[in-house]
Amino acid sequence: MSLATIYRPARCELVHTPDELELMMATEATESSIQPAIQVTGVSKRYMQNGTSLAVLEDVDFVASDGEFVSIIGPSGCGKSTLLNIIAGLDQPSSGAISIYGQTDNDRLGGVGYMQQRDLLMPWRSVLDNAIIGLEVQGVAKAEAQARARALLDDFGLSGFEDEYPHTLSGGMRQRAAFLRTVLADQEVFLLDEPFGALDALTRSQIQEWLLGMWRRVQKTIILVTHDVDEAIFLSDRVYVMSSRPGRMTLVQDIDLPRPRHQEMVTQPEFVALKAQLLASVRGEVASG
Amino acid sequence: MASLVRSFATNWLPALVIILGLLAVWEGYVLIFDVQKWLLPSPTVIAVTMVEDAALLSRHTWITLVEILIGFGLALVSGVVLASVIALSRTLERAIYPFVIASQTIPIIVVAPLLLIWIGYGLAPKVIVVGLIAFFPIVVNMVDGLKSVDPDMVRLMRTLGASRRQIFMKLQFPSSLPFLFSGTKVAMAVSVIGAVIGEWVGSSVGLGYLMIRSKPQFLTERVFAAIVVLSAIGILLFLLVGLVERLVIPWWHTERQKRALENSV
Repeated sequence: MSLATIYRPARCELVHTPDELELMMATEATESSIQPAIQVTGVSKRYMQNGTSLAVLEDVDFVASDGEFVSIIGPSGCGKSTLLNIIAGLDQPSSGAISIYGQTDNDRLGGVGYMQQRDLLMPWRSVLDNAIIGLEVQGVAKAEAQARARALLDDFGLSGFEDEYPHTLSGGMRQRAAFLRTVLADQEVFLLDEPFGALDALTRSQIQEWLLGMWRRVQKTIILVTHDVDEAIFLSDRVYVMSSRPGRMTLVQDIDLPRPRHQEMVTQPEFVALKAQLLASVRGEVASG
Repeated sequence: MASLVRSFATNWLPALVIILGLLAVWEGYVLIFDVQKWLLPSPTVIAVTMVEDAALLSRHTWITLVEILIGFGLALVSGVVLASVIALSRTLERAIYPFVIASQTIPIIVVAPLLLIWIGYGLAPKVIVVGLIAFFPIVVNMVDGLKSVDPDMVRLMRTLGASRRQIFMKLQFPSSLPFLFSGTKVAMAVSVIGAVIGEWVGSSVGLGYLMIRSKPQFLTERVFAAIVVLSAIGILLFLLVGLVERLVIPWWHTERQKRALENSV
């Protein structure tokens, strides 16, 4: 229930007394403060393949609170992308429930921002026009959308490139343009599916630090899928380790490293200890899978 | 300026050399073997005819050009609409596509006289013949383009909350434009043939009519003059489509050049 639906009867003051209303609003407040941004409960996914049922996800539980940065790591083919597809609403689970800010509707599309492995910039649109596609879809006037995008160009290191076609940009810039598109669409949760996979190591560590800065500013919930343990630890509040097929969550590890984080931390003992623990878990999965 | 000359040299010189070479052989053959001009006129005779008959040729050229442009325009509009309908609905695809293909198996040379009987002698039957021939490459290419849309991009649009219509207008349609232009180039070339066929079957004007009338009069040089003009129209219209393509989808060329460059490294 949204606040608007509570206010509406209050205005005519027939349904609720002010005291009742206060009570309801208090309940609503506590509900929303404990309500996770994303809650995945007992989700399984099976596909039929040549007449046999193939289990891709099995009883997956997953939580991300509002404003959290959560990573999922696991061997390739463990169903990470399937899980993200389900959360985004592109796919439905065979069983289990997904709740996004308390909404359990099957029609989740549009509520969750999804940045896939490829930047998926449209080659016929300039960088600026690529960035505003989400706003265009939402019906924001083009001039207004472009103005909003221009205001962020500097932060995304894209100033001076806004009128270029994507193919003239470097891989890192294309990825930042794709992220600008995600940020402008302004959905509450961002799903990032190995967005830095195609970048070289140096660009990658730069863009990781930059992403953390952006995350602090936009205050969104981010769910990152990666197979890079360093990346997961460096960025996240919490890391989930997934097993290979069928995908299950085998470990949940809180990352208590202080923020803001910087690249030097990756060689500090706390970081290394976390890494050893997660790597052991991931290796176990690879071995058993 | 130097680069302009260089690009002219690399783009046009090979074709120019071949044409001049062929013309020289032709001219020499006619001269040496003293071929009668009603049998095979030499290039110079054709050129002289073109100058002498300029008024006549331009009158007939104008009519043919109008037929081509109207027929092609109709083919383009109906082709794009038909392709969109086919790409949007599986049911309509199954219903319509067989007819699209069947339309190309009907010999146009048989249909053209019927059109004459049905709708008469004027501009309309020629325009219809042009349209019938030209719409096929447009539809087929455009359908391929609409269907080969990147599925990951469709997923992206869906997660942004895009409706089916928005996905079509903002993603599918623009991504199919390079295919549309490929089809349009073929359509433009066959439009010229379509107009001539339409005129052959029955007309009193146009370059096709001029050819049909000049042949029994043994004015072979005039037939050749008409062929030269037709070729020129075909080439110019083809180049025009290429120019429009560069204006409408400039990204397509630069991207292709970049890919070619990367592949060659």
